This record gives sequence, C-alpha cells and structure tokens, in this order.
Amino acid sequence: MKPAPFEYFAPRTLDEALDLLESEGSEARVIAGGQSLVPMLALRLARPEVLIDLNRIPELSRIRQEGSTIHIGAMTRQAHALASSLVFEQLPLLHYGLQNVGHPPTRARGTLGGSLSHADPAAETPAVMLAYKADMVLKSKQGERIIPADEFTLGTFDTAIEPGEILAEIRVQAKPNEGAALVELSRRKGDFAMASAAARVSLAADGTCAEAHLIVGAVAPVPLRFDAVTDALKGQKFSEAVVREALELMDLELFEFDNEDISLEYRRKIGPVMAERALLQAFKRAEGMQK
Amino acid sequence: MTLHQVSFTVNGKKVSVEVEPRQTLADVLRGQLGLTGTHLGCEHGVCGACTIIVNGEPARGCLMLGVQAEGAEILTVEGASPDEGLSLIQEALREFHGLQCGFCTPGMVMALHHLFSVNTSPTEEEIKEAISGQLCRCTGYQGIVNAAKAVAQRLQAQQ
Amino acid sequence: MTIGARIPRVEDARFLRGEGRYVADLAMPFMVEAYVLRSPYPHAIIRSIDASEALKLEGVEAVFTAADVPADLGPIVCRIPTHGDLSPYLQHPLAQDRVRYVGEPIAVIVAKSRAICEDAAELVEIDFDPLPAITSPYRAIEPNAEPIHEAGNLAGDWGFDLGNVEEALKSAAYTVQESFSVQRHTAMPMETRGLLASYDRGRNLLEVHGATKVVHTNRNMLAGMLGMSEQDIRLVEPDVGGSFGARGEFYPEDFLIPFAAKRLCKPVRWIEDRVEHFGAINHSRDSDFVVTVAADENGIITAFDVKLVTDMGGYIRTHGDVVPSHAAACFPGPYKVRNYRINTKTVMTNKTPTGTYRAPGMFEANFARERAIDRLADKMGLERAELRRRNLIPAEMMPWHVGTESVKRPTIFDSGDYPAVFEKALAGYGWDAPFEREENGWLRGRGLCAFVEPSGLGAFEGVRLEVDQRGNVTIFSGSSNQGQGHETVLAQIVSSIIDVPVEKIAVRHGDTGIITFGGGTYASRTAVLCGEALYNASHGIRDKALKTASAKFNIPVEELELREGAVWQAGKNEPLITLGGIARILMPGNPEFLKPPSDKNIPDHDGLVVTSYIRGVPGGTWAFAVHIADVLVDPRTGETKVEKYFVACDVGRQLNPLIVEGQLIGGVAQGLGGTFLEELTYSEDGQLTTGTFADYMMPNVYNMPPVSTLVLEDVKPEGNVLGVKGVGEIGPSGVAAAIGNAIADALKSNTGLNILPFTPERVLSAVPTVTR
Ligand SMILES: Cc1cc2nc3c(=O)[nH]c(=O)nc-3n(C[C@@H](O)[C@H](O)[C@H](O)COP(=O)(O)OP(=O)(O)OC[C@H]3O[C@@H](n4cnc5c(N)ncnc54)[C@H](O)[C@@H]3O)c2cc1C
Ligand code: FES
Ligand code: FES
Repeated sequence: MKPAPFEYFAPRTLDEALDLLESEGSEARVIAGGQSLVPMLALRLARPEVLIDLNRIPELSRIRQEGSTIHIGAMTRQAHALASSLVFEQLPLLHYGLQNVGHPPTRARGTLGGSLSHADPAAETPAVMLAYKADMVLKSKQGERIIPADEFTLGTFDTAIEPGEILAEIRVQAKPNEGAALVELSRRKGDFAMASAAARVSLAADGTCAEAHLIVGAVAPVPLRFDAVTDALKGQKFSEAVVREALELMDLELFEFDNEDISLEYRRKIGPVMAERALLQAFKRAEGMQK
Repeated sequence: MTLHQVSFTVNGKKVSVEVEPRQTLADVLRGQLGLTGTHLGCEHGVCGACTIIVNGEPARGCLMLGVQAEGAEILTVEGASPDEGLSLIQEALREFHGLQCGFCTPGMVMALHHLFSVNTSPTEEEIKEAISGQLCRCTGYQGIVNAAKAVAQRLQAQQ
Repeated sequence: MTIGARIPRVEDARFLRGEGRYVADLAMPFMVEAYVLRSPYPHAIIRSIDASEALKLEGVEAVFTAADVPADLGPIVCRIPTHGDLSPYLQHPLAQDRVRYVGEPIAVIVAKSRAICEDAAELVEIDFDPLPAITSPYRAIEPNAEPIHEAGNLAGDWGFDLGNVEEALKSAAYTVQESFSVQRHTAMPMETRGLLASYDRGRNLLEVHGATKVVHTNRNMLAGMLGMSEQDIRLVEPDVGGSFGARGEFYPEDFLIPFAAKRLCKPVRWIEDRVEHFGAINHSRDSDFVVTVAADENGIITAFDVKLVTDMGGYIRTHGDVVPSHAAACFPGPYKVRNYRINTKTVMTNKTPTGTYRAPGMFEANFARERAIDRLADKMGLERAELRRRNLIPAEMMPWHVGTESVKRPTIFDSGDYPAVFEKALAGYGWDAPFEREENGWLRGRGLCAFVEPSGLGAFEGVRLEVDQRGNVTIFSGSSNQGQGHETVLAQIVSSIIDVPVEKIAVRHGDTGIITFGGGTYASRTAVLCGEALYNASHGIRDKALKTASAKFNIPVEELELREGAVWQAGKNEPLITLGGIARILMPGNPEFLKPPSDKNIPDHDGLVVTSYIRGVPGGTWAFAVHIADVLVDPRTGETKVEKYFVACDVGRQLNPLIVEGQLIGGVAQGLGGTFLEELTYSEDGQLTTGTFADYMMPNVYNMPPVSTLVLEDVKPEGNVLGVKGVGEIGPSGVAAAIGNAIADALKSNTGLNILPFTPERVLSAVPTVTR
C-alpha cells in the first residue's frame, strides 16, 4: 500500500496554486486534509501525477463574518470549525454535523472544503450546506464561479468543480436564532452513516414553526431535501405526532441506495426515523433559544 | 520523481531528510529517522496506531506526506516518554492493564497525550471521544478508559 | 507468593515507550523488501507469467514464480490430525497453474523498497483463464458445480452418532429445530504479518524473524521444505501485535521469504499491508448449523441432532479442519445429554482458506446451541436459566466423557462444579432481578449462555531456567507471546518458588535458538503447560541450590531454606550464600569441585540450570463459564445498545487476576465484534468486498459496554500442578449466544436472530410487526 509516484508542489498563495493547476493540467490534483485522498493514493485508487498542496495557503483557512454572511475558507479544518464559537452560535447545524465527522485526529487535518469536494454520499457536510442553501465559491485562472449548494454536489464523488478549479470558500447566511440537529445511524459511531438527517427549525414568537429545513443524507448519491415535510410543519406546534404526520409526506421514492448489507427497504425505514429525531431535537433546541 | 529536502523538528530535535513525495510521514519517521514507535496498522487512516502530534494537534502519520512536514513540530511516542520510566499517562495505562500486545499503544498514548494537553479534567465521554478513532484489538478499551479517568483524577489532585 | 498476585505487567514499559520491537521495526544492512503478488481472480487457470518488464524497473532485484521453486517441493502439509484425508486440498507456497482465491500468492517481487515492489507488480503480465467462482458451500456441493480441486469440493463428510437420537426424538415431549449461521470473520490483529529473513551462505545459516505461535514447529517445517538441517535455521519471534489464533499457521510466506533470502543471499523483509492481510490471513468461523433439540416433559434435554456445514475456502491449511472438528466434538456443551448426533460437511470454495480464530468452533457451537435452548425454553414455557439448571452436568459426574473426539483427542471435561458456578453467576449478576422492559421506546432484554471451554491442549511443553553468577534469573521458554502477558505470568511462577522478585526474572521466549524443543502458544496453553514445566524447573533450581549449599557448608538440607534469592540456615539472620554464589560453585570447570581422581564428567556441574519438559494431559483442561448481558433494542431502527456484560467462570486458579480480567474483557470485545460488526463478505463473483478497515468494522470504544467479571477458583483441575485452566477463549466464546438471547428476550421474538452478525437491519427484521 504505497502510492504510485507523483510530483509535489506546495504553493503559498491561491494564485500560485491556480497557476500550477492550470499548467499541470488534468493529471494534477489538489490535496487538502488528505484524510480521503491519501488512503486513495495508498490504495492506488487515485494516481495523480502531480499533487498541489493547499495546506500552505493561509488565505484559504479563515472563518469570518461580513454582515450576515459567514465566509468559511475551504481549508478550514473540521476541528477548527467544530471548536469555533462563531460557528456554534451562527451556524449550529454545521457544528452538530461536524461532531459526526470522523474522529479527533481526522478532524484535526480534514478540511471543510475537502469534505465537500470529496462528495461522499454519506458525508455530513454536503447535507449541512444544502440545509443552509450555502454558496460555494470556486476559483480558477478564469475567475470565480458561485454555485449554490443544490447545484454543487452532483453525485457520488462528483461535484460541480471543473478541472482547473479550486473550492476556495463557502458562504453561508448566519442563522443564530434557530435550533439545529444532525442525527445519523451508523454501524460504528464516527463512521459514515447508513442514513442521516439534518434539520433546522426556527420558531415564531408563539412557539409555532416559522421555518424548517430537512435534509436526508447517505440514502442517495446526493443529499435529499424534503420541503414538502417542512412546509407541512410551518405554523404548527411541534409534537411527535405532528412531526410523524408531516413525515408521511417524505417521498421515499427518492431514496436510491440498495446494497447487499444495507438494503433500500431498510434505508426507507430508518430515513424517516432519523428525520423525526433530527426535527424534534432541532425543535427542542429552538425552544431552548426562545427561553 | 523529484526528491525533496525536508526540515522539521521531531521530539525537540531539528532534522533534515530527503524524501520522495509519495512517502508518508509515518514511513519517514519510521524508516528514515528510526522512530519505530509510530506503528502502522492499516495505512489508510482508520486504526489510529500511527497517531502523532503535529503542531500541537493529533494527526494520522499515515495520512500525511513526509514532504508536508516541512517546518512542523512533531511529537511521537518516543518524545512523549520521559528519559527514564513512564509518564503519568503511561503509568496509568500499565496500572489499569490498558494494553496487551502493545501495538495500538503508542497511538493511544499520543491521543491521550493530546487530550490531556488541552483538557486536564476530561469527562468519560470526552475520554471516549478522544480515543474513538483508535482501534485496539486486545483490551476492549475498558482498561484504557479507566487509566485515563485515573490520570484526570491525579491531575486534579496535583492542582 | 506472587502466584495469584494482581500485579501490572513487566513487559508494558517498553510498549508504552514505543520501544517494542515488532518485525517491521527490524532492519539489516543491505536489506531488500519483498512483495507478494496475489491473484486478482477467485478461480482461474494461469496460462503464463511474464515478469520481464518488471525486472527492468530500476531497483527490482528478482521476481520468483512457481517455476523458481524446486519442482519436488510439495504443498504445505497439514500438521494436525483431521477427519479423513485432506491432503488433496493443500496449498503450494506459490500457485502452480491455477488460483483458487483472491489473494493467492503467485509471485514474489523483491526490490529496494516496498514502493518499487508495488510499481513492479503493475508490470508483471499474467495471462489468466478465468473459471467460474464458487462462493457458497451449498453451491459447491451441487452435482454440477465446477470442481475447485480434482478430489471434488466436498472435503469432509463425517460426524458422531452417540446414544439413540432417533429414539429420543421420537419420544420427545418437545422438539425445536432451528438453523443458525455464523459469518466468516477473523482474528484481525492490529499488526499485520511480516518476516525478515537473512542467510549466511558461508556458514549455511538461515535466520528468520517473524511472528508465529509455534516457532519450533514452523522452523522444522521450513527446514524440511528448504532441505536444511533444523539446527541451521533460527526462527525468532519479535514482539507481536496480537494473534488470536491466526498466527499459528505455516503460511505460504513463511516459506517464500526465507526462500528468497536464501536465493538472493540478502536479508529480505516482507511486511504485509492491511489490504493484503485481508486476503492472506486465515479467515475463520463461516459455519452453518441446523439444530434439533429434544426434551422430555420435565425439561430434561434428551437429544441434540445437528448438521454442520463449514466453508473451508480454497485450500486446507496447517490447521486442517479444527474449527468444525471442535464444534462437532463440543456441541453438547455443559449438558448431560447422551443422545447426540452430528453430521459435518467441510466444503471447498473460492475464498481465502480458513483456520482458527480465538475459541475456534466454540463461539460457533455455543451460539447455535444456546440460542436453540432458549427457543426450547420458550416453547416449554420454562424459565431459561431453569431449563439449563435441570440439565447441567453435576459435579459428581466429573470427569465427563462426551464420547466425541477432536484432533484425535477424546473430549473429556475434566473437572468443575458447573451447577455451583451457574448459581453463583446468576446471583452475581442478579439474573432474577426485575428490570424495566421499556425505556424511551427502546426495549430491554436479558440473555445468558453457558458453555465449557477447552484449554491447555498440546503434547508437551518445555522450559529451561538459568541462574547466573550474579543471581539473575532467566526463563527460556518454548512458548511464544503475542500480548498475553507471559513475561509477567511466567516470572510470577518462578518468583513464588525461588523467591526472587518478578522484576529480576527475565523471560526469553519465541526463539528456536534458546531451547531445543517448544510447543508454542495456542488454545490458552501457556499457563497450563508452560506453567507446570516452569513449576518443576523452579523446584529443580531450589533443590539444586539447597543440595549444593548443603554439600558446601555441611548442613543437612532439611535445615536449609531458599528465600530472597539466597540460601539460609533456619533460625539464622544472615544468609549462607546467594543464588549467584551457588551458580558460581556449579559452573562447569569450577576447581573447587574438580576433585580428582576421575570426576571428569562432573554430572552436577552444569550450572544452576534446570531444564524441564512436561507432557500434556490428553484432553486438556476445561473451564465452565456463563455469560449474561442486558441489551436495549430500538424497535424502529434495529439499533442495539449492550448496557452491561458479565462473564463468570471457574478457572481453578488465577496466576494474575489483572491479566485474567484483561483476557476476559478483551475477549468479550472480540466476541461483540463478531456478534454485531465484523464480516468478511464476498461478491458473487468471488471478490472480497470488505477488504479495508473502513468496511470491516471492529469495535471501537463506543461499542463497548461495561464488562464485569466473576472469576472463581473453586475446583482445581488435577491434570496440572498449578491447578489452572486457561482463560484466553472464555471471553469471546459465549458472546453471540448471550447477546442473541438478550435481543430475542427484548423483542419477545426469535425469528431472524439466528444469523450473525446482528446488523441493525437484521435486528429490525426480527421485530414483531405489532411492536413496530
Ligand atoms: C477514519 C476516518 C473516518 C472518517 N469518517 C468520516 C465521517 O464520518 N464523515 C465524513 O464526512 N467524512 C469522514 N471521513 C473523511 C473526512 O475525514 C475527510 O476529511 C474528507 O472526506 C476529505 O477532506 P480532506 O480535507 O481530508 O480532503 P482530501 O482528502 O485532501 O481531499 C479529498 C478530495 O477533495 C479534493 N479537494 C480537497 N480540497 C479541495 C478544494 N479546496 N478544491 C477542490 N478540490 C478539493 C481532493 O483533490 C480530493 O479529491 C473520515 C476519514 C477517516 C480517515
Ligand atoms: S496506520 Fe494510520 S490510521 Fe492505521
Ligand atoms: S494492545 Fe493490542 S491492539 Fe491494543
């Protein structure tokens, strides 16, 4: 398990990285935290001829707030974002999502941008960003493209990132006053989920649901959004019965994955349960905010 | 394939080695610097036997490239051990039988070393989270968790 | 007395400091690395192999294929007795003209670095003719199935028929029939395999470093295969990152790497990587049972009627058919059932060959039997512990001859008071204590299982004990150590007899260069066999020391005693002489004793050294154990949470309770892995689909419940002086059974809980629809 040979560059600026990416062409690949890429190199499942290391570009790893927008550099470490009070207060769903990503040593190196770019269908971050309707800022020698989350993740290990492009930043609207939760079922905690659900809930002054978002991950090549469910919750007081009734509207036909060890039928059973738990937990947290 | 001269600090000593880009940091530490305490149980990031501390953060030695260590401060199990005898963490692991074959042990020691370097009074849940990415096939973890709880208690008592 | 003391291990310090020396930590000047090129096909004819491009790559030293090994080199022999002749199914170190599983060695590439080996491997051109792959043993024995070996795919078809099963079934008041399936999984030690071999051509000496449970046996096999004298090969076991049954084989690489070193006259190191390990290490378990159990109206079990099918994989390896053999021999477990019948089929398939994994055959059999007994209890409306209570072998029937045999040894449960231990276990756990059946929508259940576990098997064991001039004590043992704590336990035994502190006693083991014969380490035998040999040797040292002091000081032996590393005269407060002093006197050539005229052959002048070999008890010694667990089940998702786990056993005597407890808890963790998580699955076209740690899941810290133990020392086996029973396999052996019974209890349902592992999906499918 030793990687095939490759050349290595460690640019100091984004421009330098983009230059390299263009000049080295399609055989080049960027490395972020390496937590998914290095295993693939070791297994020789990935065989880039050139590796461009983004770890020495400080401008890619800042988290800052501008007005109501949070800008998260793609190279922000998962551990850093998890520990960030800005993230916890303004983007609680991201905080809860990251709790489920790997383990302390993998989070210490793994990046937010890497996770989104890798686009594992079971990964938590694409679901989180879809729930936030975040924008992905892609940079290349040709300039910048801003892609909304629902057009960014295209399929299993497939994103809108074009050759020559780097995911530079994720822009998310701050959502300080809502409850959020990410609930998942995996066979071993810290591993990829069999089904996950991400929920955001904000309440009106009277305690009814003002707005909610529900995403289910790990059941199809891309995370799935279930607006029908959350629309039905709007204006309602949360209860187990209300949530269960709304979840009747979940279109289980959208679930796709069917493996020998985890069947489609099973995912269709647990998907709604995860969703119910996420919604109820997010609601509880939203209530807590109001108090 | 270009060779790279890489300089970094490991266990307080400055070193400079020539590496191929494809060599992992763990391979460089083990093969070129003789620091064989960092073990390789899987080389794909899951077992945690290779866990070391890079610039104060825990990291999988098998998922970093040697070239990426340029300028870094690295701590391995050799550096986390006192000149003689055992550290508080190591002593507790021995006392509570937190190891059998010893293969996962350096990774465990480093994961706990990091935990206690940022949190001297971790809860049981925090201890579990800190070692959740470290696989041990021998002990069933109970002795390891008990050892870490004892370390926390002893650190509290010292304060 | 330090036997029985709960002391931390002496070997721990080096592991904690990162100073353990595992095979991958060893290196030699001019060493080159080897890589084993393995079959990507589960079943294929090899038409040709062309390594010319690989050989051109800079840094490549050699590529060896079957054409390079001596034509008369036979396959790797099976070294234990099997049911019937399994020789047609043995594996050659390198595939000859056909491959039979993904991962079968085809060539050995040697190069300057492992990375270059892997580069070269991509350049070796092999022309394969793929054949249909068979991954199911049932498919394999269909009449039209592609034969994997010329002798056919049914390697063994045998069994036992004791008492009168037919009659018992006919007259039974209750019968239950159930099918059970124990998935393929395996030991998966954290350290992969590896070897470092070097050859000194001038002296014709071969030195091999690498883990194996049985250094002497493997050395002897290697000598035979290389045509060398046994004494010209030294096999050394370095520190080893776990074994759990998987390191006892003579694997193909155990020949290939020394062979390459000898051919190249260079040190050759092979360090298996994890992905390789998945296809190369023995797999295990993979057994299906159909169990019929019959009982009379009083809840007395009158018969077990069993069918067992074990998937052996592509070849028979050195451990032959131990797994089904033990399962078949021990199936009736701790119950006094005289009508027992089993038919066993061992079947070849296109998967990695199988061998032993901790509690081989027992984990499997216990699962099937104990689940079936719970079903029987349900059917009878009898409390589950009560049904077992009525059937346990009573103490007065010991030793209990089951009437079966495994590896040509009769199954004899030598000692124990099973009913007493059973009651203590139930009381210790609070089996009868009421509990909440439901919590936040999750259902709680309680399960138990009872079983008997063998230990201390094997023909003999030997040690040599030496005291040097300075009084340092060294144990030279024929056993080996893969993490079980032998360095501590063996020192404890010696310490307790010659009264030298444990820290002053060094243990050397796992090295054919230090002792002529050794049995090795398997089946929890070290404490039992090595312990007894060491006990004898320690007494030998003691007697020798006292006799020598007696002669020197002219004091009768009866007035002398050995303590604190010295010989004392009773009642005096100064020692007469230290053990080091005695050792000096006993040094050969010591003029003090070289008394004329004719004492050239000074029989007593062989140092303060004693060698002791002891013979094993044919049936070993058997420990009775009970596992109990509480499990919560989410009826909506099939998630489970083991809340607490309990193991009770009678081990005769504990040498070190800390280590015993560690073995039990660690064993439970492995049992839980096999119960919930671990599975080696194959696609229909014969590819292993769980080939990394990302998809072969072993328990992490979150998967572990609190485990408590009740270790009893009630009945000492008479077969060994220390009165010990091995504990290594008690931990995993009953886990699947206890957990399965607990989940079934929680769900008040049994369907679907007969197939391991209990994935959430399987558990959910067992939830009765009304509850869902
Ligand atoms: C033991 C273990 C457990 C894990 N568990 C989980 C889990 O539960 N959930 C989960 O989501 N993940 C999990 N992961 C994976 C996660 O840790 C990775 O961090 C993540 O998938 C990739 O992030 P990275 O920064 O390491 O990216 P890398 O591995 O460096 O890169 C991944 C891919 O993205 C590309 N890429 C990276 N950054 C950019 C960029 N800025 N622009 C364009 N392309 C880019 C790379 O070229 C590469 O193809 C686990 C990993 C391990 C080792
Ligand atoms: S060797 Fe690095 S995680 Fe296993
Ligand atoms: S002590 Fe052996 S793997 Fe942890």
